[in-house]
Amino acid sequence: MKYTGLLFFPAFDWSLGDTHPEREERLLYTQEQLFEEGVMDLPQIKQYSPGLASLKDVLRTQGIFPTPASHDLDAHLIAAGSSLVLGDAWAKKEIYNGFALVRPPGHHSGATVQGNRGFCTINNEAILVNYLRTYYGIKKVAIVDTDVHHGDGTQDIFYHDPDVLFISLHQDGRTLYPGSGFIYEKGGPNAFGTTLDIPLPPGTGDEDIHYVLESWVLPRLEEFQPDIVINSAGQDNHFTDPLASMNVTARGYGRITELIRPDLAVLEGGYSIEGALPYVNLAIVLALAGEDYQGVIEPQKPRYPQKGSNAFKGFLKELKEQYGRIRLEWNFRNDSFLPKGKWVYYPHSVYYDTEGFREIRKDWIRQCNHCGGTVLLESQHTDTGKDSALVRIPFGACDECTQAGYDLWEYFIGRKISVLLQDQKDNKIELWHVDKGVTSF
Amino acid sequence: MSYQVGIDVGGTFTDGVLIRDQYLIKKTKVPTQADNLLETLLNAFEHLDVYKHPVDQITVSTTLVTNAILENRLPPVELFLFPGSGMRMDALPWPVPYHTLLGEIDYRGREVVPPDELEWRRLYNQIDFSTIKDVAIVSKFSHRNKVLEESLADFLNKKNPELNIALGSEWGHTNFYRRSLTTYLNTASKKLYQTFAAQLQQAVEKNGSKAELKVLKADGGIVPISLLRPVESINSGPAASVIGALAQSDPQHSFIVVDIGGTTTDIGLILSGEPLLSAHGAKIGPYLTMIPTLATRSIPMGGDSTILPDSEAPEGFKIAPYRLGPAYCLGGPAPTPTDAMCYLKRVEHGNYQLAEDGLASLLPPEKRNPEALYNLAENILRKFAREINHTFAILHKEWQEEPAYKVWEVLHPHSAKDFYFFVSGGSAQGIKPSLEEVAHLPVQITKHADVSNAIGAALARPTLSCTLHLDTYVRSYSIEEFGEQGEWRGSRRPYKEVQEFLLGFARRKAQGLGLDPEKLEFKTRPFDYFPIVISYETVGQIVRGAIVVPPGVIGRLEP
Repeated sequence: MKYTGLLFFPAFDWSLGDTHPEREERLLYTQEQLFEEGVMDLPQIKQYSPGLASLKDVLRTQGIFPTPASHDLDAHLIAAGSSLVLGDAWAKKEIYNGFALVRPPGHHSGATVQGNRGFCTINNEAILVNYLRTYYGIKKVAIVDTDVHHGDGTQDIFYHDPDVLFISLHQDGRTLYPGSGFIYEKGGPNAFGTTLDIPLPPGTGDEDIHYVLESWVLPRLEEFQPDIVINSAGQDNHFTDPLASMNVTARGYGRITELIRPDLAVLEGGYSIEGALPYVNLAIVLALAGEDYQGVIEPQKPRYPQKGSNAFKGFLKELKEQYGRIRLEWNFRNDSFLPKGKWVYYPHSVYYDTEGFREIRKDWIRQCNHCGGTVLLESQHTDTGKDSALVRIPFGACDECTQAGYDLWEYFIGRKISVLLQDQKDNKIELWHVDKGVTSF
Repeated sequence: MSYQVGIDVGGTFTDGVLIRDQYLIKKTKVPTQADNLLETLLNAFEHLDVYKHPVDQITVSTTLVTNAILENRLPPVELFLFPGSGMRMDALPWPVPYHTLLGEIDYRGREVVPPDELEWRRLYNQIDFSTIKDVAIVSKFSHRNKVLEESLADFLNKKNPELNIALGSEWGHTNFYRRSLTTYLNTASKKLYQTFAAQLQQAVEKNGSKAELKVLKADGGIVPISLLRPVESINSGPAASVIGALAQSDPQHSFIVVDIGGTTTDIGLILSGEPLLSAHGAKIGPYLTMIPTLATRSIPMGGDSTILPDSEAPEGFKIAPYRLGPAYCLGGPAPTPTDAMCYLKRVEHGNYQLAEDGLASLLPPEKRNPEALYNLAENILRKFAREINHTFAILHKEWQEEPAYKVWEVLHPHSAKDFYFFVSGGSAQGIKPSLEEVAHLPVQITKHADVSNAIGAALARPTLSCTLHLDTYVRSYSIEEFGEQGEWRGSRRPYKEVQEFLLGFARRKAQGLGLDPEKLEFKTRPFDYFPIVISYETVGQIVRGAIVVPPGVIGRLEP
């Protein structure tokens, strides 16, 4: 039998604040709906119990600055750890596919973390991806983010990684947090074309979003030939979502799941906790389990019809052409501390909405024709003024990039900043902190 | 002085014990008459001299309902369902026919789609109620609001006052599928059970006994015979094993209960003196129910299981899941694990020569030498022991990996325990060395291994569980186990008052069951509070919590 793994972790004792959308109540009605339907009694459903991610699993993928101990990570480590539980089950072929129905979410959490942003502190899917690559030899990964918000954190983590195809469908960044995810964001110098952002106009409904999947996303997946497809299954495209303005129904989400056919899905956002979540989650679970989801009908009716339009098709065609026209344009710099090679310099800033501060990032990418290229990310917290840095030697790094990574690491340790070495190739994770010296994970 | 009697009705034998102030006074074993349960029980009473002592309480663990379900002997029930929207009905296997009706309640108990009385009238006219008098009505989310169920019940009652109507909301836990099947089974088994209960009551009274009659439930608790919901008596055999072992153990110990019967072996877990309850309801035949049950597993192997030669198995034999009769060494037709035990001189019963002959029949004639026979006997019992140990591992995993829904639970996992095997049943001595060898855990034998289940029935205590679901915004509450639904008049954000409210309910319920609340050990499970927020304003709270009297024993048997 083809089993569908279900890991339900609603974090009933955790919230970001009494009336915050990310609160105890969020998955309460989802639990009522799934349990009342008897979903756990379906013969093909296997329920798993939550796990706890190790710091090594997190730091392999993200720099938590200045140190992991300076953040409250408990709930987040369970959400990530639960994704890993299903990852293990999938890799060991215990399950055919699976859904980590967990809180808190993660897709706004990027390669460097100075705090909580967009309700996320650590990135569940990204940690899962790099875990599977480390321990199960998975090579090529595709992530399809169907949350209504741009998955900017996941994009940031894999922007320079040619083996991870990141696709995000979201409400246009000009109209919604986090305000990014435009068509020109196509990937870094060594991974150009492995990021695909599809900004959609507010009000996009079932048929149109299915059209985007069928006409663009699925062909791109087919072309990329990933070993695993992961769905960041946010549910805020639903027409009742209080934070966004889309027009997708629960059954529409069932069809989205059926089209993407993810190996693993991980819950992201979705804050219509009464009107949408019980129904959307049920539809997704049923679609994964190969059951009919057409009977999942939310009590509220959408205000606009679900029918696709020719105008939308025209809009999408234009968008596709724009995507095709965008070419590489990079800023090369050769600062004296940089090891041998050509380095692309890419400065930007990241806003942390939960706590209200900015992070200044200076990204350096070693251009490489042999591997994903070593990456240096300098990160400054604008409120505290504290500097941190991350040196990443990517999976499958070539010798030159590996050497460049260790040269950078040597250069940084001893300074009055936090520095994380992410040797993904050899699964060696070390953190330098001036008070603690080097800690190996 | 207080006298208790415990009776465990098994497939082959019925065991009974008479206990006075924690001392075992008398025990008996009588053959079970499959077609006459009452006669079997009265026979056991006679052997125990029940009528010669001032017995206070007789507790019976019976397979009456279990067997009727498994043998498909229950009368049909008209099942009316309000499934609303959601998953298709046929996504889950329904072992019984049903009618579906319009109308829908949501997860907060709000009516989303009203029922259609016209549909009811049409359907009523199509059904022949002259033969079927039992009706069960279940709506999705009826545990949050039973209005649909009650409306249809009223309608049917007016049309036909002779109908016996049961509502799904009487079984108030979340799970429409299990609630439907549980309601169905309970309705179907009512008559059978009530007839038996009345006959037993009469017979006991006729003999001048003033003993209170109690029945053992799947969760290891006891309840007065007249108050039992019949379907709650399923699975009571394994429960009796677990409670029986508990009554013969030291408090606070953690151990694996193994009860070896004729063709099945039951396995359960005791954790620091408390039996492990299953996170799911009991399963019986094709039916998934919401009956609370101890976490036990049965394997189809016992002292009398038939052993067949099997050239494809590496050991050259297999243990079949059935019994052809007693063991070969006791004059039976085929070799069994008991013959292996007899041959290895681990048990005293049985004829040694016959045991040897029985085992030899599994070997080709040229290999029938003492060494081969010895290895064969060892291998049979090793295989049996491995199966027991494997089943323990599954139960242990189930306990370790209970679903957790809170951060606190994940950060505080169950601590490891030092387990030992605590084996009862006639073959306990015979399996001991093999189990020690296979599992690398100590093995102890219960003192009264042959009547351990009956001891469990005699010394089990009542259980009680009251789970509250309160929605202060909708202003309604329900106590799930009893299907009690009412209006909440307390505050919007209650704290202490809600715990007192539930405790008050639990005490009243205990009294209703003939129990003295002062003598019960109520345990409050952690309460969960969910603020209900509408447009960034907290408008109320959902509170969940439970007060329970967990399974246990009224006292431990003195050695």
